[in-house]
Amino acid sequence: MNSLKIAVLVGAAFALGACTNAGRFDNDGGFGADGAGAGFDVGSAQDPNSPAYFNQTIGDRVLFLVDQSSLTPQAQTVLAGQAAWLANNPEFTAVIEGHADEQGTREYNLALGARRANAVKEYLVTQGVAATRLQTLTFGKERPLEICSDESCYAKNRRAVTVIAAGGGTS
Amino acid sequence: MRAILIFLAMVFSLAIGSVALAQDGPLRLRITDGVIEPMPFAIPAFQAESAAAGQLASDISRVVAADLTGTGLFREISPDAFISTVSNFASPVQYADWKAINAQALITGAVNADGQGNINVKFRVYDVFSGAELGTGLQFAGTADGWRRMAHKVADEVYSRITGEGKYFDSRVVFVSETGPKNDRRKRLAIMDYDGANVQYLTDSSAIVLAPRFSPDGNRVLYTSYETGFPRIYVLDVNNVGRRAIDLPDGTMSFAPRFAPDGQSAVFSLTTGGNTDLYTVNLGSGDLTRLTSAPSIETAPSFSPDGSRIVFESDRSGNQQLYVMPASGGEATRISFGAGRYGTPVWSPRGDLVAFTKQNRGRFHIGVMRLDGSEERLLTASFLDEGPTWSPNGRVIMFTRETQGAQGAPSLYSVDISGRNLKPIRTEGGASDPSWSPLQR
Amino acid sequence: MHLGYTISGAGHAALIGFLLFGGVLSTEPLPFETTSNVSIISGDEFAALIAESSPDAVALTPDQSETPQAEEAPDVAALSPVEETPPPPPQEAPTPETPPDVSALTPPVAEVEPDAPAEQTPPAPVEPVTTALPEAEEAQEQQADRVAPEPVAPPAPDAQVADTVQEAVTESDEGTEQAEEAPATAPEAAATEIVTEAETPASAPTQSMRPQTRPSRPAPVETAEEAPEAPTNDAIADAVAQAVANQQSTSNVPSGPPLTRGEKDAMRVAVSSCWNVGSLSTDALGTTVVVAVEMAENATPVTSSIRMLSFEGGSEAGARQAFEAARRAIIRCGARGYNLPREKYGQWREIEMTFDPSGMRLR
Repeated sequence: MNSLKIAVLVGAAFALGACTNAGRFDNDGGFGADGAGAGFDVGSAQDPNSPAYFNQTIGDRVLFLVDQSSLTPQAQTVLAGQAAWLANNPEFTAVIEGHADEQGTREYNLALGARRANAVKEYLVTQGVAATRLQTLTFGKERPLEICSDESCYAKNRRAVTVIAAGGGTS
Repeated sequence: MRAILIFLAMVFSLAIGSVALAQDGPLRLRITDGVIEPMPFAIPAFQAESAAAGQLASDISRVVAADLTGTGLFREISPDAFISTVSNFASPVQYADWKAINAQALITGAVNADGQGNINVKFRVYDVFSGAELGTGLQFAGTADGWRRMAHKVADEVYSRITGEGKYFDSRVVFVSETGPKNDRRKRLAIMDYDGANVQYLTDSSAIVLAPRFSPDGNRVLYTSYETGFPRIYVLDVNNVGRRAIDLPDGTMSFAPRFAPDGQSAVFSLTTGGNTDLYTVNLGSGDLTRLTSAPSIETAPSFSPDGSRIVFESDRSGNQQLYVMPASGGEATRISFGAGRYGTPVWSPRGDLVAFTKQNRGRFHIGVMRLDGSEERLLTASFLDEGPTWSPNGRVIMFTRETQGAQGAPSLYSVDISGRNLKPIRTEGGASDPSWSPLQR
Repeated sequence: MHLGYTISGAGHAALIGFLLFGGVLSTEPLPFETTSNVSIISGDEFAALIAESSPDAVALTPDQSETPQAEEAPDVAALSPVEETPPPPPQEAPTPETPPDVSALTPPVAEVEPDAPAEQTPPAPVEPVTTALPEAEEAQEQQADRVAPEPVAPPAPDAQVADTVQEAVTESDEGTEQAEEAPATAPEAAATEIVTEAETPASAPTQSMRPQTRPSRPAPVETAEEAPEAPTNDAIADAVAQAVANQQSTSNVPSGPPLTRGEKDAMRVAVSSCWNVGSLSTDALGTTVVVAVEMAENATPVTSSIRMLSFEGGSEAGARQAFEAARRAIIRCGARGYNLPREKYGQWREIEMTFDPSGMRLR
């Protein structure tokens, strides 16, 4: 396996890690080297330019209705916040991951996840984020967040997550 | 069409039924109601013709018996019930003794081993009640470590001679082996004999892999991997496990690949800008051909056995349904019209049926229908069944069944296309996305 | 009854029978089957293959015709049929160790030529699975093993709670119910049709798909469920036959009046109960065959006389399997003699049966 491939795998592993809860609330270090500190710890969730602020305060994910990829009003609010943060932090890029619940066939869910990710991307673009900073990715039903087989879990799994990264992102 | 013929035949039989015909000539009867039950057969342990063959002879006859009973079409008669034994492969068969225990088929065999790792298996099949051999005796030669394949070949011969169906035991299945919790599944490609024996792994679990599909010659596998972080299709050589990504435009995602019957090209889904359409790619030249251009989802394509058409799923009507179009693209005809959603169509190797996944009222089914959408028949029902694949002879369907809940896990099942003989394929750990190979050579 | 004498000898019929069905009587056991190469990949080879990236190392060597196995020709010749009954004319039951003098014989030997893998290096990406997923639930083996025209309740059906919509069998006349699998030794459960897991027995009344034939009920001839008119007809027929027989005592082949409907139904039902289409190919299940059989005076079928007159709907191969199933039915259920009125022997000495499986609802 060549070094490029290893680098790519590491990047992928990072992206995967970032979509779990544990990974998400811990990633205060690696990113925000130049967060503008004023009255709070640089890089913390109180720092409006920190990834933690993006993930926790703004919200890194939006949810979808069953078999839908259109954005709810709440989702649009979250995405407006994401767009503003990205405008203030131009050194970041994002990979938008689309997911589906388990109630669907594998291939269809991949396509549905791609639609959801793209819906988020297009909204961010309309809010002024350069399309070149955004990539989309679908996991279909391969990476559920919640594992029960009820609507309570399904609702959280039908999501698109904006995973930010400093610099080039994963590719 | 066939349904109509059958219906006419029924009507005809109703009309003629048991109406007494004129008695000038033989007595004429029409039999329309029979029974459907497994055919009882006897298989005395194969003879060991040399000391080195002792265990193998017994093992081989066990695998032959398991293959036959596993079809659901046969039932083995316990050796405890045997009245006579077969002490010599060449001895005349005492039909009366086998009739007495209602053995309708008798399988005898012998195994010779040269002590150098080479073995020789011969067998005969008898139609007990007709008092005649069915076909002629055959023998297979091979190496001792390939004894299972030789047993499968014997069973294939027996099965085919009795049922008239094509062979399928000497085949393999490539699938996704799954371990770990539901929110952190580790997946890797694996290959095994059709009956679950001889599992070998083809990839490690560092990246998600999905839906492997055999090439028509069984030597290559197309599949989807997240090696780069993004879903992308690969082709893997089963024999040396070498793999390469199919070269596709940057910024796209690709999945749901499947070989064309000539093995030279593949059809798959390519996603750009959130829209998923069907393409074919020439595996040699890398040339891409776009088959569909619609804002809807087009995925899960499968070629007809003659390569002239493709069946696929699309939500262009508002939800998932099945469509058929020419292999070069063009106008598609919808074939599914029942309640619910239809996906993952797979054209049968015989060409007459499509197997699919149906989702309706919170349950999943594996079903079959004709290419015009008629004679839909659901074979299974569960919390989540999906991804059918056909046995090489088109008689059996294998699929993924996933159980419900936080501890839910996938496993492989098979079912006869009559809907009978639903059973799990034993695998170590979880398993999903099976693809059945052609008959091995 | 003139027909009874027209068959040109049982031997002739037997010959035809063998030619048609046995596949046994190819006058020379020529190279019946040349099985193609068996290429086997062992675990070790596989391991080596994984380590070895060159595809050359795994060449499956499609054809290497001359192998030591070719020397086993005598063995192959030994594989000619060995009959309990008089062996078919051209073949003496040979013993295996006697080399036949048939030089044309070539062994149907499959070659196994797995290439020796170069090295036994351990495969890089292969690691044993240690974390096993929770065991999947057991298959719901709820289908009756047997489908017969009449539903047979399984012995003590254990209700299985299922993730399926199936229910245990219930008694009903035209039930489309599901029967639990019965132990092999118990009376076999039977559903009236194949009910898949996907079909809901509870909603059976809405199902109208099942083709209904007239109420013919393959059951043992003696059962009380026989067509209602049968007993009376039998009685009447018996009486009539008795009278006729008394008058015709000089005739050595009693013909008697035509069989009554009840008598014919009884025969039809008897054959039906042994007509098992459960192991037939889908092709054979689409094939209707017309079979002729000559009956002995004790109402047992003359096995060698059973022959296929015609077929329609399927391929020749399908017809062959369909015929074999029909032949088995006639022989098995006639082993102790059918319940046919002896005094009407002339009426049933020759029987032509049309086996039409189209209503068996298997696709």
